[in-house]
Amino acid sequence: MDALMLRFLQGYVRDTFGAALWHAICQRGGLSIETFEPMLRYPPGLADATAGHAAAVLGRPVESIWEDMGTYLVTSSGHEGVRRLLRFGGVGFADFLHSLEELPGRARLAMPDLDMPEIHLTECAADRFVLECRSPLGGTLRVLTGMLTAMADDYGTLCLIDPVGEDRISIRILDQDHAVARRFDLALPET
Amino acid sequence: MDLALLPPGVQLSCAVLARFMPMHLLLDASGRVLGAGPTLARMLQGLPLEGARFEELFEVRSPGGAVTAEEVLARAGHRFRLVARNGVRAGLRGLGERLPDGRMLMNFSFGIDLITAVRDLGLSDGDFVATDLAMELLYLAEANAAVTRELRALNLRLEGARLAAEEEALTDPLTGLRNRRAADLVLERLCATGTPFAMLHMDLDYFKSVNDTLGHAAGDFVLEQVGRILREELRAEDCAARIGGDEFLVLLSSRIDLQILQGIADRIIHRITQPMPYGEDRAQVSASIGIIRSLDAGSRDPAQLMALADRALYAAKDAGRARAVLLVAKVP
Repeated sequence: MDALMLRFLQGYVRDTFGAALWHAICQRGGLSIETFEPMLRYPPGLADATAGHAAAVLGRPVESIWEDMGTYLVTSSGHEGVRRLLRFGGVGFADFLHSLEELPGRARLAMPDLDMPEIHLTECAADRFVLECRSPLGGTLRVLTGMLTAMADDYGTLCLIDPVGEDRISIRILDQDHAVARRFDLALPET
Repeated sequence: MDLALLPPGVQLSCAVLARFMPMHLLLDASGRVLGAGPTLARMLQGLPLEGARFEELFEVRSPGGAVTAEEVLARAGHRFRLVARNGVRAGLRGLGERLPDGRMLMNFSFGIDLITAVRDLGLSDGDFVATDLAMELLYLAEANAAVTRELRALNLRLEGARLAAEEEALTDPLTGLRNRRAADLVLERLCATGTPFAMLHMDLDYFKSVNDTLGHAAGDFVLEQVGRILREELRAEDCAARIGGDEFLVLLSSRIDLQILQGIADRIIHRITQPMPYGEDRAQVSASIGIIRSLDAGSRDPAQLMALADRALYAAKDAGRARAVLLVAKVP
């Protein structure tokens, strides 16, 4: 997961703040490389450490960096694939939330050695959910928070999404059909 | 509307049948359509369904020879394959059974043509039942494509890095010319392919005194200028290399006319001999060049040719420096 997170962080910082800032972050971290490959392996903990340096260089809390990166993953045109894979989860936002428990299994179908976070969803009421997430990566919960917020938007659902403690996200759906959902075709046009 | 009757005592309405099997087809005993699930009906768009005969809707791909629904059920073991007659590209995979009352019930899936079907027919989540693995298959296809794309991009980046490393391993960092290793490789290749070529072996004169009086930085500056002059006087297809401290080797395979070679060497020497302003000082060197041609040497051995080029260079030095000497001689 470190490789994926590092790659996404690199994309987010470069696209949002520019290559010079990413360079500064890597310099501060004493990294010998500045381009991370999502398919290679990096030392565990490097993603969290690098995000820490990003927080210092950008002068923002690390939590908000991870959260914004999660939103960026779903909304940036360069990562349309991420949004599409998530939308396969369900027709509505609640369906989608339930599908998150299957996410590690789905991801393993494509990349068997990817150690995805453990996700467990509790439906407290039809409009209240608690999502538990366990991951060796400190940033995972915040990334997920950012992604959920962007996905709610994608589905046109108005909700409150808040991280609670170290490993939980509370979700309250206020209006399922608040806006028109973004279009989603099950199959991409032939290229 | 209660049509389908399954013994013992299980009765399904058409609506339930449609929910559980959105791609079913119900035929009367003679093979005419009584009803079809909503997804199948969508796939058969453009064809009149009600009362149509099975063979008017479908072309049977297997079992071979079967045309009618009756023949399909009689010949097929547990599965058959069809294509619709309305030109939809996606094929169908199905199974069927004759019910006790003589009617025939078939159920279909798109099988491996699922993605084509979803794309061409604009199908959505609601066209599949929850137990269907269609969504998983679509998901997997896209996840797979994403991983493959990422791997292909990684391969390209690694290949780029490999080429850059290779380039670096063959380049003299100070002058930007090729290095000794690169020159050896080019010389070997020229010898092996039998292309006629010429060698210019060049040595700087008075380089040591620049180093001694103005310092090593000035010496490096002179070498950089020589590198620039060589690049400017030669073509991209020629190989110009720094093969020692102030020793250079040029391999030319495109131009080997004696006069042209002499002209190139003289121009290089002329330019190198011009004083090079270095800060407040001027660095003054010149160059001697020994020229040989593979055709005259009558040898294809790199070491022998190199020794001959060395002899030509020393002849130039002996002749009083700042000179190019063309040695037309055979390798002994």
